[in-house]
Parts: sequence; structure tokens; C-alpha cells
Amino acid sequence: MTPVQATFGEVAAERRIASVPLSHVSVELGHLYMEDYEAGPDRLREQFRRVAPWLATVRSLWRERVPGGRARVSTCFLVDDYFSRFSTPAELVPMVLEAAAEHDLTIDYLARESACAEFEDAQSGGVELARLVEDRLVDDPPPETDGSRPPVKETGWLCNGSRSPRTTPMQAMGKTRPWEPPAQNAKRGHSIFVDVELWDEKGPRRTWSCPFLAAVWQLLRLGLLRSDGHVPLPPVALDGDWPRDWDGLPAVVRLNPQAAPFSAYTTLSVLSPRFLPVELAVRTILSQVAVDDEVLRQVVTRSESEGVRLEEELVDRISYVFI
Amino acid sequence: MLVMGEVHTGLLQNSGEISESTCRQVLGLMTGETVRVSRRPIVHALSPERLTGVDCALPTASRSRVRGVGTVVSRCAVTGGRVAQGSSYVRLVRSEADRRLPWSHYLARPGVVEVLGKAKAADLAEGFTGDSAPGCLNLGAVSGRFLDLVQASPLLDRRAPFKIPRTSLRWVAETGEPSIRFTLHTEQERTLRLTHPGPFTPAVVDLCEDLATHDWLLTSLLVIVERARIGGTPGAQAAARLAPAIDHLMHLWMPAARVEEWLTPFWESLERRPGFTRQWRSLVDRVRDQVAMNALALLSATAEAGRR
Repeated sequence: MTPVQATFGEVAAERRIASVPLSHVSVELGHLYMEDYEAGPDRLREQFRRVAPWLATVRSLWRERVPGGRARVSTCFLVDDYFSRFSTPAELVPMVLEAAAEHDLTIDYLARESACAEFEDAQSGGVELARLVEDRLVDDPPPETDGSRPPVKETGWLCNGSRSPRTTPMQAMGKTRPWEPPAQNAKRGHSIFVDVELWDEKGPRRTWSCPFLAAVWQLLRLGLLRSDGHVPLPPVALDGDWPRDWDGLPAVVRLNPQAAPFSAYTTLSVLSPRFLPVELAVRTILSQVAVDDEVLRQVVTRSESEGVRLEEELVDRISYVFI
Repeated sequence: MLVMGEVHTGLLQNSGEISESTCRQVLGLMTGETVRVSRRPIVHALSPERLTGVDCALPTASRSRVRGVGTVVSRCAVTGGRVAQGSSYVRLVRSEADRRLPWSHYLARPGVVEVLGKAKAADLAEGFTGDSAPGCLNLGAVSGRFLDLVQASPLLDRRAPFKIPRTSLRWVAETGEPSIRFTLHTEQERTLRLTHPGPFTPAVVDLCEDLATHDWLLTSLLVIVERARIGGTPGAQAAARLAPAIDHLMHLWMPAARVEEWLTPFWESLERRPGFTRQWRSLVDRVRDQVAMNALALLSATAEAGRR
């Protein structure tokens, strides 16, 4: 008898990573905070007026880059319902859409910032995206980090180098240790040391910082997050009217049925320069997030199959216009 | 260039073996990542992988200064609900830059440590499997911490049925003509040099972890048999000392169960020399004979008492 080749498989022993449809670029047309809302619809109109030419530029740049000129560009808009709750979707969303339409802008997807922290509904169950990203942080190691000790951590903070040593007076000597500078790990000549607060806790409640949630938002737009192998918070079309409560709204709503996919190879955010420090913090966080190997490979394989060469480092897939 | 790793293996700090569902909880080291469990031919649970950043000197036999920057991959495993492991490895790749790059560069290649400076693969391999030097990449400490993480789980009762030391297996894998060299150093330290055909795949790590599990089982059974002092203590006492081996270890021997087909010849060659399974069987037979003899002695003593 010839030898029999046996194959045996166990589903629970395999890792299955879903793939996500991808556009070429995801453009964030705006990010609405309570203060913007309070400033009235003119502030919003002004934002869209400034964004419109940049969206057109990005579209034409990608048309040139993609073979056949079929660029997939999707647009999104983020509403802060995490740090402060204001207005209602029923009141706010039509106003935003109207202001965008005045400048011929179509918002394809609308997202809630609180969903970047955690989200729960009947369809997707519970997803703690912020925790998920926190568990994927791999600290940038200062030189001489050989693994013999656990990484030096200040709970709830993340930096890009070595912090200044503490300058508390030394009891025995009665002397104060002179100040020593912090140092950036990958400095070129001189340091730009950044230390970012990821969250704080008052009692049992943890509040994630704005840069941390913005980092989660970028990862979601880049299609690089998975929860138990599934794509978290897939966009949902809204059935019926806009709800009167933010909690009645899906995490990411598809507003335009013809929209290109929500997630994309690259992202562009058009922001006011006042967000510059936030975005520096976001990049400091993102450059220490280890995205799943398999997910990275999926995205690279897909982009190469359609002739798009992606930047290797994910922070290089994110761009901004500060105006 | 080459791949190097270290596996720490120990007895799970729990009175009995733990269930599959407890394994999943103990090894759930990351939100949103599942623990992989295989049930045939033995329950084996593997945690999601985590990374640790390093920027330090790499061990070299010539003591020349070589710097490595990148990430170490680590994971934990529980076999048969009883044997716990912390395992770490790095793939060494020559750096194309002569300086340290932004951290995002290294995170784009998880598990790779880039080598800065002139270094020969052989020098690094010898250095890593030789005496450890302070200040150099310490995969043992990383693996040890991952094993601690499992052992410190609040789901474990920390009442292990017997005390047995952890073992460490330090391994280096390269591509080339197939060969394997397994060396026992001290009581707890082992090294493995492996040359495999074709490029490195994580299946090589599975092989090293499988060898480490079985080496630990064999080492532990030897320690238990030694502690029983067969022949030097009354039969009943010796049999009682052997009981933990029967309760907790003897059913766990499943060599090469999780090893990919193309790597099984490496296990097979170790089975020829030194012959792990041969030694295991002889020990198991010895334990069973002792217990059987003691049972017979007990029976005849009871029969004797009945006659009186």
C-alpha cells in the first residue's frame, strides 16, 4: 500500500485575519469639537471653504498616481462626542451636511470619537479599540536597552526617548542633583523630546487623551486594526431618521451609498494649525504601535497588486494640510 | 543572517492541570487577540505574540562591539494544562543604515533586530550560545518575564504539586546543510544549534519550543526518580515520591506533535542520538515497575495479615 498523506486541521489553532476593502486615500474633511459648534455654522462653512481646494488637489494627485486614473478617495468627518456631549445627531448632522454641500463637498462617512475609545451595539458587540491599541504599544527603547529589565514606564505616558532623571535632593549628601536633559532616541544632532499623556484616571473611570483617540482614529482609517481577527466598526448605513441621542448612532455611518471604502492605504487630514501639537503627539504614539504582521502584509500585497507602492512605515502613510 | 531565541520552561504554578478555557484566559495577553488552541494529540495553547524593543550590544564570541536595534517577539504557551513556557526570538538582519533610525522603521519589521557594524554570523551564533555577557541582548530575561506573567496569573492557585526548576533552551537557527546539535550545559541550561534547508519560518520556533518542552519533561522525570531514591528508601515511600510523575507528567510525552513535516527529521535524528524517547520510556517503565512492585508488596502484606 502506498503511504497515505494525512492532513489534519483545527480551526481554533489557526489565526484568521479578515481583510478590509481599501480606498487609496481617506480624507478627513473636519473634526468638530464643542467649541466649533458653539461658534456657529459659519465656523463650519469656513472650514469646508478651506478644505475644498485641497480635496480637489488630492483627487487629481491620486488620479495621476493610479494606473487608469481610477482613484478611490473617500471623505470622512469626526464629531467629538467623547470629551463633551453637545447637540444631537438629528440637529447637528443635517447642518454639517448642508454646510459641506455649499462648497460642493460630499461627506461619505461620519464617525463618533467616543467609538475610538469603546463601542458597543447589538451588531458589533463590544469593542474596546483604545485598549486594543494600548496593548499594541511597543516602547521606543533608549540605547543600552538589552531586555534584562522591563521597559521603564511612566503609567499612562509615552515618550520618544529617555526622560530627565529626577532632580529630588539626595538626602544623605544634602545636595541637589543637577538637572540633566531628556534625550530623543533617534535624534539627529539635537533632541526633540516628546512625552505624551495617554490617559488619566479619576476613580474607576479612565479618560483617554485626545491624541490617543486621534491615533486610534488614524489606525481605523488605515484599516490596520482587528479585533479577534474581525474588522472593528465597519461603516453602517443609517436606517430612518437621525437619532436624538448620540448613543443611537452607529460608530461609523455611511452617508453616501456610492462612497469608496472608508479605510484607505493613506490618510490626509486637513486641519487648523492649532492641532499641530496634537498631531505631533499622534505621530509619537503611532510610531510606537506595532500593527499585526499579517495585517501589514495584507495591505502591502493588495497595494502592490494594483501597482501602488506604499510607504513602509505607517506614520509615512499619514499626511496633513495645516491651514 | 541568523535567528536566535530562548525558551524557558517550567511547571505551571497550579495544583492540578488547568482547563482549556482557563488556558485561554491565562494566555490572553492582548485585547482583541485570540489564544490559539490545538487539542490533538495534546492540548496546546499559545498566547498572542508581543514585542519588546531593544537597542544594545549583541553577544559575540570575539567580544567585538556589535550593536543591534529592533524588536524581540515573545509568546507564552501551556501544554497539557500543565507545562508553561515563555519563548522569545529575534531575526538578525544586517542594517542598511549606519545609525539608529526612527522607531517606526523597526516596528514595520516586527521580530527583526538590525545589526549595526561589522559582524559575522558565526561570531554572533557562538557568542549567543556561549557564556552570556552583561549588557548584551538578554533574551533569557525577556522569556523569563513572559513565563512569570503566566505564573502570576490570578487564575492559578500557586500550589504546584512538586517543586522543579525551570530550564532554559537557547537556540540559534541558520539556513544551510541540515544539522542539529543539542548540548546540555548546567542542570538547567541547554543550547541548540540548528541548520535548516530553506528560509526561516516560525515553524522553526515551534520545533525549538517542542524540544524544550520534552527536554524539561525528561529532566523533571529524572529529578523525581532521583528524589525517590529507589532502593535506598522503603518501597512504599519511594512509590509515594513517584506519584507526582504519574499524576502530572507521564501522559504529556508527545514528541514532534506540533512540528511541521519538513522539520521532523531533526527530531528523528535526536531520537537516534541521544534518544530522548528511549530514555523517557526507560524512566517511565522504572516508575511503573516501582509502583507495581509496591502494590504487590501491599497486596501480599494485606493477604498475610488476613491469614493471621
